[in-house]
Order: sequence, then C-alpha cells, then structure tokens
Amino acid sequence: MMSEKYLNRGWGAAVALFVLFLPVIIPEIKVHLAIEILIFALFAISFNLVLGSLGMLPFGFAAFFGMGAYIAALMFNHIPGTPLAVILLAGAVSGLISAIFVGFFCVRLGGTYFALLTLAFQMFFFAVAMKWREVTNGDDGMGVIRPELYFPGLGKLSLMNINNLYYVTLFFVVLGILAAYLFSKTPLGNSATSMRENDERASFLGYNVFLTKLTVFSFAGLIAGLAGGLYVLFQEFVATTAIDASMSFTIVIMAIIGGTGRFFGPILGVIFFMIFQDWISDLTDNWWFFLGIVFIAVVLFLEGGLISLINLDRVRLWLSRQES
Amino acid sequence: MGIDIYLIQALHGLVYGMLIFMVASGLTLVFGMMGILNLAHASFYMLGAYFAYTVTVYLGNFWLSLIISPLIVGILGILTERFLLRPVHIKGHIAELLLTFGLFYVLGEAVRIIWGSNPLPVPVPGILKGDIPFFEMTYPIYRLFILCFSVFILVGMLILLMKTRIGILIRAATSDTDMVDALGTNVPVLFMGVFGGGAALAAVAGVVAAPFLSVFPGMGLDVLLDCFVVIVIGGFGSMFGAFVAALMIGELQSFGVLWIPRFAMVFQFMLMAIVLIIRPTGLFGEVE
Repeated sequence: MMSEKYLNRGWGAAVALFVLFLPVIIPEIKVHLAIEILIFALFAISFNLVLGSLGMLPFGFAAFFGMGAYIAALMFNHIPGTPLAVILLAGAVSGLISAIFVGFFCVRLGGTYFALLTLAFQMFFFAVAMKWREVTNGDDGMGVIRPELYFPGLGKLSLMNINNLYYVTLFFVVLGILAAYLFSKTPLGNSATSMRENDERASFLGYNVFLTKLTVFSFAGLIAGLAGGLYVLFQEFVATTAIDASMSFTIVIMAIIGGTGRFFGPILGVIFFMIFQDWISDLTDNWWFFLGIVFIAVVLFLEGGLISLINLDRVRLWLSRQES
Repeated sequence: MGIDIYLIQALHGLVYGMLIFMVASGLTLVFGMMGILNLAHASFYMLGAYFAYTVTVYLGNFWLSLIISPLIVGILGILTERFLLRPVHIKGHIAELLLTFGLFYVLGEAVRIIWGSNPLPVPVPGILKGDIPFFEMTYPIYRLFILCFSVFILVGMLILLMKTRIGILIRAATSDTDMVDALGTNVPVLFMGVFGGGAALAAVAGVVAAPFLSVFPGMGLDVLLDCFVVIVIGGFGSMFGAFVAALMIGELQSFGVLWIPRFAMVFQFMLMAIVLIIRPTGLFGEVE
C-alpha cells in the first residue's frame, strides 16, 4: 500500500528532523535532559528485548548497564588515549559477557523466579561494586574526564561542549537502537517471540529454547552495556547508583509506562518519565509518590502502556479510504 | 574474651534471623498460596514500625502499638488485595508483581510525606530496658525479648497452620487452589484473609524492630533485600526453607561483620548465587 509506506516514512522523517535539530530549538540546560533521555531510551530498548520479545521480566537489568558503566569508567581513567569507540565497545562487551554468565543460570526459569534471580545477581554485582574499594572506589564513585575526539580533516572536537556531546551520544544511541531493531527482525528474534507465546510448543518444533533465550538475553546485555558506557561519558562520573536496585527498578517503570508490546513503546515511557520528573521535581520533593501512582494506574488500566494510546491503525484506515 | 564473644555474636545473628523470618514468613505464605511475590510486603513492615512510633508518641504505650499497628496494616492489606490485586489477577503474575512494586514506591513516598525523612526513635519500653549478665559480659534485654517474641509468633503460626481448620484450608490451597475452590471453600475470601494476615504479621515485625533498628524511610528496602535473599535461598514458597535461610543469613551477617566486615554483604549475595547454581529452586523449594 502506497499510503502506509508514505505514512511510515513521514513519521520517521519528522522524528529524525526533530531529533537532529533538537539542540538548536531547546535551551542549553534542556540539552542535558535530552541526552539523558537518549541514553535511557537505549537502555529501555535493551530491557524490552527481554521483556517484550521473550516475555520475561528481568528485574535486575541494571547489572549490565552498571557493568558497562564501570568498565568504561575504568578504561577512561587507567588507559588514557583509548579512542572513545573502543571504550564504548568494551563497555558493551562487558555487558554481553556478564549477561551470558547471569543468563546461563537465569533463563531456564520463568515468571517470578526469573525476575528475582536476575535481581539476585544484580545485587551481587552491586555488593562487589560497593565493597571492592581499590578498584571501584565504593560509594564515593569515580570521576571521569570526557576525552577529545579527533576527526581526520576536521580537527579536534571537545565533548565538553554540550551540543557536541549530544550528537556523539545520538550517533551511538541510534546505532544501538538500529542494531536492536534489526536483531528483533532476524529469524532468531522471531523464534524468541514464539517462545514468549508458548515455549513448550517452540521446543517441540525443534527450537533450542535455552540457547535462543540466552542469546536474546546476552544481546540485550550488550546494548545495556553500551548505554552504561554512554551514561558515564555524560555524567563524567560513575558510582554504585549506576548498578543498584533503584536503577533496575527505574528501567522497569519506564518501560512499563511506555508499553512493552511494541518495539518503540519503552522510548515513549522514557520521554514521559524524564519530562515528568523534570517538571514535577520543581514542584515537590516527593515526586516518586506521583510517579508511583501513574505507574500503578498504567498497570491497572492501560495494559499496553502509553504507546497503546497512539493508534496508527486508525490513521491508516483513514488514508486507505482517501485513496480508494 | 574468647568463647563469650562468639556466643554473643551467635545470639545477635539468631535475633536478627528471627526478625527477618517474621517478615519473610508472611511473604512466603502469600507467594506459596497465591503465586504473588508481594514487594509491598516490606512497606507493610515499614508502616508497622511508623505506626508504632505514632502510637507510642500519642498514647505513650509501646504495648498498645503491638495491637493497633498490625490491625491497621492488616486492614490495609485486605483493601490492597481486594481493590488492587484482584483486578490484575487475570493478567498474570508479572502484572501482579508490577502492581505490588508500584505500591512499594507509593507507600515508601507516602511515609516520607507523612512522617518526614529523618530517622525517628522509638524508646524501648520500661521493663525491657537495660542489660542482663551473660557469662562474663552483658546482653541487652530487648534483643532477648525479640527472640522470645518471635519464637512465640512462630509457635502460634505452626499451631494455626497445622492444627486449625483455617490452617488446613491454607495448606490445601497452597498445593491446589482449584481443588479447594471446587470443594466449596470461598477461595477469594481466603486469599484476602491470608494477604491481610501476612501484612499484619509484617507489621508486628515492624513494631518489634522499631526500638531496635529505629524507624526510617529506607528500612523497607533494607528488609526487602534481606527477605528476598532468604526466600531465594530457602526456596520460593517453602516456610521451613525460609526459616533455615533466615537463621543462616542472620548468622552470616553477624559473623561476617565480626570477621570480615568489608565483605559481609558480598557473602550474603555470594551464598545466594552458590545455592542457585547448585539448586536453582533454593534449598527446600519444589521443582517447578
């Protein structure tokens, strides 16, 4: 159908234009908020690879985000001069490796068991980050200096400039989201969906359920690790807050509010969460109270999350009527 | 010095372990029966402690709070089950988990709004003040009270579960809800009652813990994580497992702090990881 193609392109182009020119439109102080939204959007997408496509709720997903953050911070500090891309890659790979390790023990179990076991491992990671002071500096955390980027022919690019940081973050976030999107469209991604619906049947059809789940889980860990590395670059700092239970819980809340049924749903949740938090924390210190109520309301009344409010089908129907 | 310090440390561990068990037992009961991991359980514990503070301040009597606080929290638990959990029951366990999770945040913030963020002291009641001689050292009476009281609650719970008709129904519903329903028991009411009872039990633990650990907004999360370790190690839904694991965690924390203070917390989660690697369903959990 022509119209649908145009509709999707139109949406895509509008979003792309908006994101590209965002730092020009909004005041500088809000660019910080935009960068944070970008990073958490990537984190939420990786989280939803597990919850959305596998139908398993990883309650301790900050383990891989935090792992990426710590590894990136350690490389910034101990191996000066390493290119930024290499550092972020190392963060992502550390997320991957720790997710393979955790997933090996967790993905066999389902439902509440899986949720809790991932949280158990995350708390173990947290305890190590908290107490292994020689390496992680405990809850005081580690400061990081943003490196300068060298482009052949273009010269130096300082990341202390917030707009530069925005575009660099945008580049890696888009890369990560694209990778996750393509991954979810592979035959492997589709077989994961069959396991969400009925993993016994999938196993009778000859799929290796354990290996498929482990692969999806590990890949999600990789993307979360990348988000963690970007988080350090943005914050210029890493502490146990990047790997604690609150971080795990926050990403659950963001993704559920946005809606986990569709690929881009969690991003909507991140945008809502961040802007809501930015707005309401000026008015009250107890903003978690209101956010908690929004969250409960979504669980009770809006199962598909915020994205289920956007009904593209209706627009499509209207367009097809115009055509005929 | 010598053997005394180990005895005292073991006793500390026992006291804390029993306290954790009081909270974890309600959690285990609800999980075993309804399949809900109630994250708001820790909030009920915290609310119990805060109500204890308010009652002791306004009525000047700690013992009264031991009755009033569980009563209020128990009713709150019943309302939670009836009006929040039951509507999402059909959406499955993950939705139920998420709901209690949201409630954990809302109640945690509500406590800050009502009572503020500062730690509040609850004085130890008169007759339980002071220490008693213990070999060549002394031991606080209040800790011994916690120990005796929790044993009393444990025995009471055993009698309720093993010897009464309600206990038989609860145990039957734990193994097969549909069958109990088919045999003519009003299962939704039973669920509501058990949920409320579990909340009240958590509040009792909160009241007892209040003079010992003081009352602060983070106490919910602290106990949630400890309980969570306990039910994972003991095995989901296993009461006996929770009991054994609670004592293990109590002693581990107590001796961990004595010997290697820095890694006490790591040990706890390491123990959990090791148990899970060897037996993914916990020490006494049934295979799924």
